[in-house]
Amino acid sequence: VSSAWAPMLPLAMVGTDRQAAGLPAWPGEVGQLVAQAASTADNPAAGVLRAAAVLATCSLAGAQGSPWSGRLPDPASSEALPTISAGPELALLTWTLQDGPLRLQQLVCLALATAHVRLPPMLLPLALDQGRRSLGLRPLLGPVLGERGLWLAAQRADWHYAAGVSAEAADETRWNEGSLEQRRDFLSRERSTDPRRARERLAQSLDELSAKERADLVGVLGARLSLEDEPLLESLRTDRSREVRQSALDLLLRLPSSAHAVHAVARVETLLKQERGLLRKRWQIDAPSAPGSDWKADNVDAARPKNDSLGDRAWWLYQLVRQVPPGWWTLHTGLDASELLRWASGTNWAEALVRGWYDAVFAAPEPAWCEAFLNAWPTAVLRHEPAKVLALLPLAARERYWQRHLRSGDELLAALVPQLLAACPAGETLSASLSLTLAEIVIERAESRTLGDDYVVRAALPELCAMLHIDALAGLGQMARHPDETQSFAETLHAMSRVIAVRRAFTSLATSTTPGTP
Amino acid sequence: MTLTMEAVLALAPDAASAKAARGLLGPARWPLLGANDDAAWGECQGSGAKPYQTQVAFSGPAFRCSCPSRKFPCKHGLALLMLRAQNSALFVSVGTPPWVAEWLASRSERVEKTEERQVESPARVFDPRPAAQREEQRWQRMSAAAQDLQRWLADQLARGLGSVSDEVLKSWLTTSARMVDAQVPGLGARVREAAAGINQGADWPERTLHRLGLLQLLCDSLQRRDRLNPGVLADLRAAVGWPHDQAAVLAEGERVADRWTVLGTVVEERDNNLSERRVWLSGEHSERRAWLLDHAFGGRGFGRVWLTGSSFAATLVFFPGASALRALVAEPTVALGPPMWPRTTVEVEWTSVAGRVAACPWTNLHPFVLADAVPVRSGDRTLAVADGRALALLLDDADAWTLLATTGGRPCQLMGEWDGFALRPLTAWLSDATLPLWRRSAA
Repeated sequence: VSSAWAPMLPLAMVGTDRQAAGLPAWPGEVGQLVAQAASTADNPAAGVLRAAAVLATCSLAGAQGSPWSGRLPDPASSEALPTISAGPELALLTWTLQDGPLRLQQLVCLALATAHVRLPPMLLPLALDQGRRSLGLRPLLGPVLGERGLWLAAQRADWHYAAGVSAEAADETRWNEGSLEQRRDFLSRERSTDPRRARERLAQSLDELSAKERADLVGVLGARLSLEDEPLLESLRTDRSREVRQSALDLLLRLPSSAHAVHAVARVETLLKQERGLLRKRWQIDAPSAPGSDWKADNVDAARPKNDSLGDRAWWLYQLVRQVPPGWWTLHTGLDASELLRWASGTNWAEALVRGWYDAVFAAPEPAWCEAFLNAWPTAVLRHEPAKVLALLPLAARERYWQRHLRSGDELLAALVPQLLAACPAGETLSASLSLTLAEIVIERAESRTLGDDYVVRAALPELCAMLHIDALAGLGQMARHPDETQSFAETLHAMSRVIAVRRAFTSLATSTTPGTP
Repeated sequence: MTLTMEAVLALAPDAASAKAARGLLGPARWPLLGANDDAAWGECQGSGAKPYQTQVAFSGPAFRCSCPSRKFPCKHGLALLMLRAQNSALFVSVGTPPWVAEWLASRSERVEKTEERQVESPARVFDPRPAAQREEQRWQRMSAAAQDLQRWLADQLARGLGSVSDEVLKSWLTTSARMVDAQVPGLGARVREAAAGINQGADWPERTLHRLGLLQLLCDSLQRRDRLNPGVLADLRAAVGWPHDQAAVLAEGERVADRWTVLGTVVEERDNNLSERRVWLSGEHSERRAWLLDHAFGGRGFGRVWLTGSSFAATLVFFPGASALRALVAEPTVALGPPMWPRTTVEVEWTSVAGRVAACPWTNLHPFVLADAVPVRSGDRTLAVADGRALALLLDDADAWTLLATTGGRPCQLMGEWDGFALRPLTAWLSDATLPLWRRSAA
């Protein structure tokens, strides 16, 4: 279409006053019509306009799009899973993905995956966009995207994280061509049935993986970890990526008889001495006075960051302690974790020791150490929140901790709720008894009109509704309303009621799905 | 009357209202919910002590609420209809409260009066003599304005489009304003549109010549109006911005009774807080296409729902003109339910476009059904490929991706507005399905 205009452009752009050449000729019937229309014009400019009138009309009348010579991209494969059709569930699902808290999105994705149901195509762009923003949603999206979702994700750069091979694809294809989520999933399953094969597979692929992927997939070795993994972990200690090196060191910490752990223990052992006191023997610890020559080879970081609260020697001690398996301390000293924490607070190196243990407990979690930390949180020397340690414990142990702390005053709910949310992984719901206790407290607070002004608790309520046991939701859905409640509190209550509706709808999902459409 | 959730959402004046209404769906917010055959009502606990009294009459539907919101319909009205769509068992049917009964009575009174007026009005409005004189005077004024514009257009081409500077562009806007003053706002709008297109996109010289060419054609046509046939003259009148009187159209226009399917609707924001809604229809037996145009001011919603993919029996009255697209609904409609999607081919559609352009070159928008089209992403653009040819699609990103998601690279029937350069898709469906696969989201 635009080429028809080309002969006229020089004249139109420069202007008929300055361009001596007259109107060009066009071929065919259109050309005749142009000539005829322009011939009766009073002046050259009007002739150009008349010609434009003919060309515009003819191009409008003759339009038929532009030729397409390319190949059409392959359509999405047929779906194996059913999806949700129009109805209340679809509206709730839309709300969840659009406005719901992340925890609810995760829960709903898990519920869909468990029921072998995929997301409806209409919601895929929204879901993929949420996954783009939220790393926590990504692993849960994979199973519910369906073939359509994988097909769609491959077409947009910021959705590539979800693009992978068909869920129906053979295992080797999933490993060779899948998304990171699919590869991790495949490797984890192989690791659980054949640890050696999974390790060898990973070792062979290291060269082609990016640093981010290496760090991610090395984590898979954490399952069924054994000394057979030591050579690979040893080689990973010298990886280009700091993140990968740290993952490998963390795993070696869980292998107390590995060479690296033995070296680490030996270094600390020379600093730890038992001295005879007045009444009984006492353990004494000293910090290194200079970095050792073997430190660099053993990944001990001797350079203290400029702003760290520790001095040089304390920093060195901290670095040495964080490489020692926590279990060694109890075995070697005969003190349990709580006693060790108390002992450390009496030494000159309390912060270095506690921070080192804290890091080591994260790499190689031991319930006794976690409990010891939680029972007497070393607030003076540790800036972290207890939530991360709680997250290392099984749910039952976490709940015991919370039950103990509940009902000791109003201040506590504000501290506890964020902790609950931080310490419970996606998809986990609390027991009925703890949930009912929490719901009761929230309802009491609402009735005594002290909830609306508690910003911390208030903001977390919708998310809390996404992790409470379903039996505890009835009361929360019908909290007393007050005519003078603030707009933002009213919105919170609405969001809560939506979350509760979603929870109810998706708990009974398996019975209400329709067969898949191609 | 039963409305689906989607139909209720289509009534929302904007996305924020729809969202706010969804937040009101907890039955706990509604201490009172009632309904009978004509209306539904409820009391909604708002932020004040006294609940809002919300009511919806199903004819229309029409809304009324005691809340102070300027949005129309307000979130309470929408939420009430949504609740009704979700779970009609929540609504008790005993006893109509006085505040509902009063309103319903005043409504039916108003409807009767309007009907009476419609019966009386043609005789009163159409006194032919003075009207004919007034018309002739206006045609003369418009011709004079066209002559003026023609000189101005020739000036621009004599100096060349390459010399159009920001300073010169101001004169284009002045010219546009002059056309509005001279009672040819259609010409004014086209000049303004041409001014806005200068230096926009690589092909702006071609697009500008295209626009100026059509303006030239309008000016020439106004000079030669005594030689035009009545159809073209009617189109010319509409194109230069002299609308046809709706009462006259209802009285004299071509009437077509048929089963009409709503192919698509689109709402666009215009200047000055004005929303324009275009509803595209397709007749089952007449095989006619039609569009309904209405406006709403200041965030108020449109009184009546046209749910894409539904069909109804009605008589449409077409505006005069050779393009024969714009119509009014003459008689109360009877909802018939599922759509009768038109069966068409790419060739038939392009032939219709060519026919309409030949009859009236100023037809801005053509209803276009692209059969077996595959929506495709190509770089930043979305295209519809059918029959070895591609049309550029006018879509925002969110709509483009939902269209791709719902079609999945497979052929669909894609309805949209063709503006001569690109297709603005409104609806996609599969020929054997009654529900649309995809709809353009509300503006």
